[in-house]
Amino acid sequence: MLNVRLFDLTTLLFGAASVCYVAALYGKKDTIARVGTWICIIAAVTSTAAIGVRWAESYKMGIGRIPVTNLYESLVFFAWSVNLFYLFVEWKYRNRTFGAFVMPIAFITMVFAFTNESSIQPLVPALQSYWLHAHVITCFIGYAAFAVSAGVAVMYLLKAKREEAKSDGGVIGLFPPTKALDDLVYRSIIWGFPFLTAGIITGAAWANYAWGTYWSWDPKETWSLIVWLVYAAFLHARITRGWHGRRAAILSIVGFLATIMCYLGVNLVLSGLHSYGGS
Amino acid sequence: MADDKRTQSLMDKVWNFFTSLKLAITVLIILAVSSIFGTIIEQNQPMEKYQQVYTDASVRIMDALNLFDMYHSWWFLLLLVLFTVNLSCCTIDRLPRVVKIVRNPKTTLDEGLEKSLGLVDRWKKKGALDAWVEKYAEAMGKEIGKPRVTRNSDIVHLYAESGVVSRFGVYVTHLSIVIIFIGAIVGNVFGYKGYANIPEGGSVRQIPTRGGTRPVDLDFEVRCNKFSLTFYNDKFGNPTQQPKEYASDLSIIENGREVLRKKIVVNDPLQYKGIWFYQSSYGPTGAATAQVAVVDPAGGPVTGLALAAGQKTALPGYGTITGVDYQPNFQGSGPALLVVLEKPGQPPAQVWLPQGKPDVDRKRNDRYFFSFGGLTQGFFTGLQVAKDPGVNVVWVGCTLMVIGIIIAFFMSHQRLWIRLAPSADGRVEIVLAGAASRNRLAFEKKFEKIQDDFKAVSA
Ligand code: HEM
Repeated sequence: MLNVRLFDLTTLLFGAASVCYVAALYGKKDTIARVGTWICIIAAVTSTAAIGVRWAESYKMGIGRIPVTNLYESLVFFAWSVNLFYLFVEWKYRNRTFGAFVMPIAFITMVFAFTNESSIQPLVPALQSYWLHAHVITCFIGYAAFAVSAGVAVMYLLKAKREEAKSDGGVIGLFPPTKALDDLVYRSIIWGFPFLTAGIITGAAWANYAWGTYWSWDPKETWSLIVWLVYAAFLHARITRGWHGRRAAILSIVGFLATIMCYLGVNLVLSGLHSYGGS
Repeated sequence: MADDKRTQSLMDKVWNFFTSLKLAITVLIILAVSSIFGTIIEQNQPMEKYQQVYTDASVRIMDALNLFDMYHSWWFLLLLVLFTVNLSCCTIDRLPRVVKIVRNPKTTLDEGLEKSLGLVDRWKKKGALDAWVEKYAEAMGKEIGKPRVTRNSDIVHLYAESGVVSRFGVYVTHLSIVIIFIGAIVGNVFGYKGYANIPEGGSVRQIPTRGGTRPVDLDFEVRCNKFSLTFYNDKFGNPTQQPKEYASDLSIIENGREVLRKKIVVNDPLQYKGIWFYQSSYGPTGAATAQVAVVDPAGGPVTGLALAAGQKTALPGYGTITGVDYQPNFQGSGPALLVVLEKPGQPPAQVWLPQGKPDVDRKRNDRYFFSFGGLTQGFFTGLQVAKDPGVNVVWVGCTLMVIGIIIAFFMSHQRLWIRLAPSADGRVEIVLAGAASRNRLAFEKKFEKIQDDFKAVSA
């Protein structure tokens, strides 16, 4: 189907952009990084088109629903969000070195999606709800922000180590200063946290509307709460003296690992109501 | 005295413990880590199931730690209580200070304050002090807000602020958590969760509840008028086995009168008197029956029969008829029923009755002919029933939480001071200082721009 081919193209573009950003970092050539940016923009267009086409195709099949209801669709939607959030950050901070750490996340996600069943399946009655849109979109913007934060946190740790060793050359020398990285780790979470909060709340509202229970401690819910608690800990750690920088960066990475567990691990490893990802 | 002091310091220690952010971070992390167990160990399963999966010793340990129902265990609830106490103490400790900052802002830029602020600049201007006060008051009004003016002999202070509410975002967020907990407790204490299976045409008055407590008596009756099930079609337009929608047509009957009627589907429940009925499952009631019309070729329809599979049905003055087989797609022409006809003194006859061809049996030239009108399957609808008087409290809390977080993160309390004083060389010395409660990097940029603009202000 056309949408799947467009997603395959997007995968290639994300791969190419990642290569450009990494190459630019090693070759210290800003032109290559600029090519990376253009590829990201083209990828944003193709992936947005792909989502639109898939949506339209589902209507043509008489199923008609937002394309975020199985593992394949949620993976491509996640990669789509990461790409857009990344472009926003790049534009805002006018620094392209982040790309080498963030775009591979989008690329790997797409490669993983590629290995999954990509056909459009009809929705089981439980998923036929407007809450689905609000829930999935808010969660995924949150996840994307956390992905960017974790990528930058890795950069922070590398840079901080280098600064301690008092050598500022090499690839890492090109990174923005630690203060800016630390700030960006935090800023991304500040975007992610309200979205995750809204995602959990819309999920609860939906569960209440469908089953009459807003919270039932099923593994997916519980993991989203775990992610939320880790980032709440991060936010409070930031306002305590001595928890800036390194420890905050580590918490951000831990938070993202918990996010991956919440998003994929629960479906692939554990069982629960949200079993759509397992099939 | 000494004794008094010691208790005082103990009290202080306890208070400091409960108001500390370190405790908050620790509890948040402990909650996060311990919650993992309940996602790995399936919760609330029968004991035998655990015994199949784990060794006896580990079952005993896990049971002692309440790991089979950990989110309701005493230690998990204790953690939540500690969390709430921490949150409340912290608020009691800090909120008054914030209120003070907001109600009595520091409107004068004295030496001490100036030293404590990171963003400070100074320059001199020629001219009359009062004229510059006016100029800068106007400039500040454009940047942040109308300034308050304080005069101390010949020194003039200007102070302007914006985004004061941002100081309360955190407290709104924290309060919202407590509100959500209150809502959850109210729901648990005064509400219940139950279920009801109602066959089509049947009704219930009593709801068995989850958790084994006594069933709840409703002061009305819920009737299922009809249950319907539709399937998705495949690409050739034939129905598949994938359910597309299941729906129950429900009526609420109070004092013998129907007061409400609604067709509910998954994700669209019915609510009456604070009690919600959710479409949750369905199932067949008994076996399907085949509808068969008995027709006299000369005189028209005689009677209608509902045949249960394999059951002989007598037709007076004729013999017996038995439905023995059903095929959803008989010889490519849709559903059909196989019946066996037995008449006294004759060998039994087998006849296929396709649903699409009601007259096909006429050509047998018998006393009666039969036509198959389709299978009828009775269903019961499975409803989840819930009463939760705390749920709206929870939604209020959730809304406040989102609002509070947005205020806390995306608004900033920005303050700007200007001190104007006559300087020894006859000019006016101007000191500009600023502070922001968050997003300091952005405020630094803004401050730089203000610096440049204000220095360029001309008489
Ligand atoms: C999961 C629960 C919690 C959430 C979602 C939460 C949320 C927040 C948020 C969004 C902020 C603003 C952070 C920032 O300015 O960067 C904050 C600050 C704060 N929180 Fe919490 N909080 C939680 C639990 C707690 C607990 C248990 C305490 C107990 C001491 C606490 C104490 C504080 C304090 C003292 C601040 C700083 C206030 C200030 O800036 O003056 N929080 N909280």
